[in-house]
Amino acid sequence: MMIIMKSSATPQDVERVIAKVKSVGLAVHLSQGVEATIIGAIGETHSLPTDQFEVMDGVEAVQRITQPYKLASRQFHPENSVFPIDGFSVGGEELALIAGPCAVESRSQIIETAHAVKEAGANALRGGVFKPRTSPYSFQGLGEEGLEYLAEAREQTGLPVVVEIMSQVQVALMVKCVDVLQVGARNMQNFNLLRVIGETQTPVLLKRGLSASIEELLMSAEYILAGGNKQVLLCERGIRTFETATRNTTDINAIPVLKSLTHLPVILDPSHSTGHFDYVAAIARAAVAAGADGLIVEVHPDPAHAMSDGRQSLKPEKFTAMVKQVSQIAEIMDRRLASVQAPVH
Amino acid sequence: MMIIMHPGATQEQVDHVIEHIEEQHLSAHTIVGVEQTIIGAVGESHGVPTSIFETLPGVLAVQRISQPYKLASRQFHPENSIFPLDGFTIGSEEIPIIAGPCSVESRSQIIEVAQAVKEAGANALRGGVFKPRTSPYAFQGLGEEGLEYMAEARELTGLPIVVEVMAVSQVPLMVKYVDVLQIGARNMQNFNLLRAIGDTRTPVLLKRGMSAMVEDLLMATEYILAGGNERVMLCERGIRTFETATRNTTDINAIPVLQSLTHLPVVLDPSHSTGHADYVTAVAKAAVAAGADGIIVEVHQDPAHAMSDGRQSLTPESFASMVRKLKAVAEAVDRCLVSRVPSPF
Repeated sequence: MMIIMKSSATPQDVERVIAKVKSVGLAVHLSQGVEATIIGAIGETHSLPTDQFEVMDGVEAVQRITQPYKLASRQFHPENSVFPIDGFSVGGEELALIAGPCAVESRSQIIETAHAVKEAGANALRGGVFKPRTSPYSFQGLGEEGLEYLAEAREQTGLPVVVEIMSQVQVALMVKCVDVLQVGARNMQNFNLLRVIGETQTPVLLKRGLSASIEELLMSAEYILAGGNKQVLLCERGIRTFETATRNTTDINAIPVLKSLTHLPVILDPSHSTGHFDYVAAIARAAVAAGADGLIVEVHPDPAHAMSDGRQSLKPEKFTAMVKQVSQIAEIMDRRLASVQAPVH
Repeated sequence: MMIIMHPGATQEQVDHVIEHIEEQHLSAHTIVGVEQTIIGAVGESHGVPTSIFETLPGVLAVQRISQPYKLASRQFHPENSIFPLDGFTIGSEEIPIIAGPCSVESRSQIIEVAQAVKEAGANALRGGVFKPRTSPYAFQGLGEEGLEYMAEARELTGLPIVVEVMAVSQVPLMVKYVDVLQIGARNMQNFNLLRAIGDTRTPVLLKRGMSAMVEDLLMATEYILAGGNERVMLCERGIRTFETATRNTTDINAIPVLQSLTHLPVVLDPSHSTGHADYVTAVAKAAVAAGADGIIVEVHQDPAHAMSDGRQSLTPESFASMVRKLKAVAEAVDRCLVSRVPSPF
């Protein structure tokens, strides 16, 4: 941590800061410049709040040198984290290709979609049963009934299921039914939920908040890791900007930035990050070319009649075409997709 | 154009709006809803300002249905615009790579870089001589002297040159020297400059402004096209967002969005859109995978001592490695890099 003193700081101000740094068990490195004095605080500073120094007389600014997260950091864990999810490994050579509808709408809808996405090459099934909708009047999901349909879809296809959890009270039920707990963008900083999920051993797909910086996403991952759950996948799903031509702005930079800062797998959701099915395949290709470890894509057998996110959902045929394009990119990246298998009945 | 009336608007106010619509030689189509009345203004409305209606009593909002640009629009010109630049085409199957330093710093520097990027596979040389620097104390470019060095580099390598023009007063000088006039992000809405360049017949590389929407970029393009200069390529170079991990946020969505809205070629500048050499290759690959028609990238033989943008500049070796990767991505999306090697003049 670097403490930059004001040019008007007195020698007494500097002395007091030095004493404070020493009192928290850190070593001091003093550099006196022409215009300003800088005090380096050396040691384990990641849990030390900067405001302890920011409020002191004569202090201009405090800058962290080391990252405020540790378990999520690549410094701490240089090798990629690779972990198994029923039938495949995330973070390894095989790309995660999670596909399915925004919401489970009925038994036949989810089972039909599950077979279609599996045939196209998906290795996991998505489907929401508790839906965080902007409007309280919109379809809110089928709840526990939806979980039963998902379990049936998994049994028929062998695909692990990825389901969003919205609240702590759902944890006990969800861990019994799902293979991956999804934390949605709106809950990325629901710290109580993150803590509870950190205590489970179910893999987690953590989506970046709509206005969350990359560092904030990693701090949220840290909450889950700190609880002992090490199986966290990070997901870029577009951020809020001034641009209105698309629902969100895909921050493609986040893929190489996250890959350099963390050892955790990073996937991209081109459905939410564009908001329009016309752009999904192009952004899916871009994500894999940029080094993403997988994709999560919305697929619906009849997007025009979907109860949510129809505009950004691919028809199964379009999803199949997207998978073909993505597999060509995957090949040159020395990655691969799941081998397409005939559905299990 | 749709004129949405306030829920409490009177019949008189509705009639008044209809009168104004007819005055503009448009026909009115009224839809009376349960809560609100909507009036469609049908006809050639792209030259009619929305403010004519927005200011009338009883009007809640005015929405354009057709795009406010015409010459730039794909509706108007369904085929891709393809135009030749010394030795290659842009907008076709082949993907040109424009490379070179941020600024021309000296004769030997630009000639050395020109030869290095040519050898690595670049098809055009970039190099600024009038530099729009945030600080008035930073290096402002070599001016006309720099243009002479660029011309010499072109003569030695055969690479066409892309140079930024900052002011209307520079246009006559620039068109004598350069093959492509670059309009920088900060000048995207310098409308006098756009008009002056529209009057020339030199190809243009128009960069998206830091806070410009896709539609704003297309409107700026319309200024140039309206003057009769039809050879405009658009460049996504990252937008300003809340994220600070990178210099800008690459709006990768802009590639497929622009390609669906306009017939003009779309290139990406991963140097500015990331601001960091470490991320340039990943984002360049993403751009080609998303369908970009070209790449413009900063290369410097000694980034640590560059007079500007050193942090985001590739060395000639890392540029050569990037080009090899882009070739593979281009092939995976059924495109190719430019195969012809330019010969010196």
